[in-house]
Amino acid sequence: MNKARELRAHRRGILHDEKLTERLMITPAIIALAVISIFPLLYMLYISMFDYSMSVNNPTFVGFQNWARVLKSKTFWACWKRTGYIAGIGISVQMVLGIAVALLIYRLPKGQNVILTLFMLPVFVAPIVAGLLGRFLLNSTYGFYSWILSTFFGYSEELFANPTGAVIGIVAIDVWEWTPLVTMIVLAGLQSMDLEVLEAASIDGASYLAKLRYVIFPLASRTILVALLIRSMDILRYVDTITIITEGGPADATRTSGYYLMQTAFRFQNFGQAAVMGIIMIAVISVLGKLFIRLMGRGVM
Amino acid sequence: MSKGRKKGAGSTKKLVLNIVLYIIAVFLVLWSVLPILWMAISSLKVSTNMFTLPPQFIFRPELGTYKYMFTQAGFGKFLANSLIASISSTLVALFIGSLGGYALCRGRFKRQKDISFWIISTRMAPIPAVILPLYMIFSRLRMVGTMPGLVFAYTTFNLPFALWMMMAFFADVSPALEEAARVDGTSKFGAFLRIALPAASPGLAATGVLCMMFAWNDYVFASALSGASTQTIPIAASLLVTQTGIAWGQAMATGTIIVMPMLLGGLLMRKYLVKGFSMGAVK
Repeated sequence: MNKARELRAHRRGILHDEKLTERLMITPAIIALAVISIFPLLYMLYISMFDYSMSVNNPTFVGFQNWARVLKSKTFWACWKRTGYIAGIGISVQMVLGIAVALLIYRLPKGQNVILTLFMLPVFVAPIVAGLLGRFLLNSTYGFYSWILSTFFGYSEELFANPTGAVIGIVAIDVWEWTPLVTMIVLAGLQSMDLEVLEAASIDGASYLAKLRYVIFPLASRTILVALLIRSMDILRYVDTITIITEGGPADATRTSGYYLMQTAFRFQNFGQAAVMGIIMIAVISVLGKLFIRLMGRGVM
Repeated sequence: MSKGRKKGAGSTKKLVLNIVLYIIAVFLVLWSVLPILWMAISSLKVSTNMFTLPPQFIFRPELGTYKYMFTQAGFGKFLANSLIASISSTLVALFIGSLGGYALCRGRFKRQKDISFWIISTRMAPIPAVILPLYMIFSRLRMVGTMPGLVFAYTTFNLPFALWMMMAFFADVSPALEEAARVDGTSKFGAFLRIALPAASPGLAATGVLCMMFAWNDYVFASALSGASTQTIPIAASLLVTQTGIAWGQAMATGTIIVMPMLLGGLLMRKYLVKGFSMGAVK
């Protein structure tokens, strides 16, 4: 009797010790997360209530005026619209191309790994270097790719000098850098597929398209969604290439909401309105994050 | 391949299809690799043949640009800054991240899902929206342009990433061994330190390499938060772009220096890349 009670108490002690250790181990992370995310967010809310245009060190309280100005500003909505279609085009191309390449590599009888490894090298390239390279290769007088375009396709204009060309150029660089990410994730999904289902479909004489539609896509749909969400969150984050190539131009063609925020804050010193834009951006990306968490909870991890 | 002929029309068709697939694959590889190769080759050319088109593939490689950058343009300083900033933030992230990641993975916390969402949204927060409040806070504390400021800024994305990844990597380690050690009287923390952490060490290394890469490749944070004495290599690269033109030789050499170590690091941990780039959602 006594022994059992002792044992129980001992076990309770261990559990208690365990809980305490876990608490202690997670505390630095929680504090650090609060310092790097909650505090800046609250501070940004604070900034959004002030006008810094007179003096950066001595801002005046203006309440929700910045909010009203930003939400009524045509430029602000124009930037979001632009962000929407640049991101929309970029992500559509990356998803379609990325999935196609993944399917292609998956069909190769040999060398899948070598091809994928070489194909994915651009994901390691710093976005600013990708931007510089794009600018170099697409320069109309000495760019190698421009030379190919003009010799074989008769296009000899300066790509980044006209609005449509600039958007195409920026999207192309993003596609070059991040399509491999989609391929990598989707291919991993394909490779972990249950082969028996696929073989059964082959024996049944299903055509490749039918297999794609009824077997491969349903099985790979989760990884495809993961790739889609990660790319969507990422494409809204980066402003490097735009900063180094077009600076939002020509004629605002590449002024995305992220770049506009940087401009409003660091070129026009209008920190109050920039803060409003920042909070709105965070809200948009949070929705995507929430979807991602739900997706993770549903599937294999 | 000779097997294909024996088996008749179906196999020939398959052989042709495979050849077509490999040809496309070669083009895809070229599309990805050529710009990087082009950059490295251009950095070894002298400016007189750098802009020649059609391109010259046979030329005498010159290291003049690199020599100039390190001896006259003070490139060593940029390199040192980049290394200090990215290594420091990586170490901080790994330390806090492995402790917290383990606790989150093994422990039972009431609001696990909320914490997960918190970590992911901190990692994915839009960069411009993170920079703004940091810049305002740092200017109050006189930390703009300082190394601790830059390290802190990099930790804002590396810490949530490390936490998240270590949580996923610890989930792959079977708790059985730790439990056995616990029965033998090892403390919970001892079990973490001596059993779980060594078992997850490849994951720790992979997370470290990716943290390094994110910080090393950053341009936007450094553009707002670094100062004259803390400029990193990506900033040095951007400074080569001026109103009057771009010093392409140096730009290509700088790009090569930024990219090569990351290619190497990425290839070394090739096995864990999918997990890292999909935020642990795909193995």
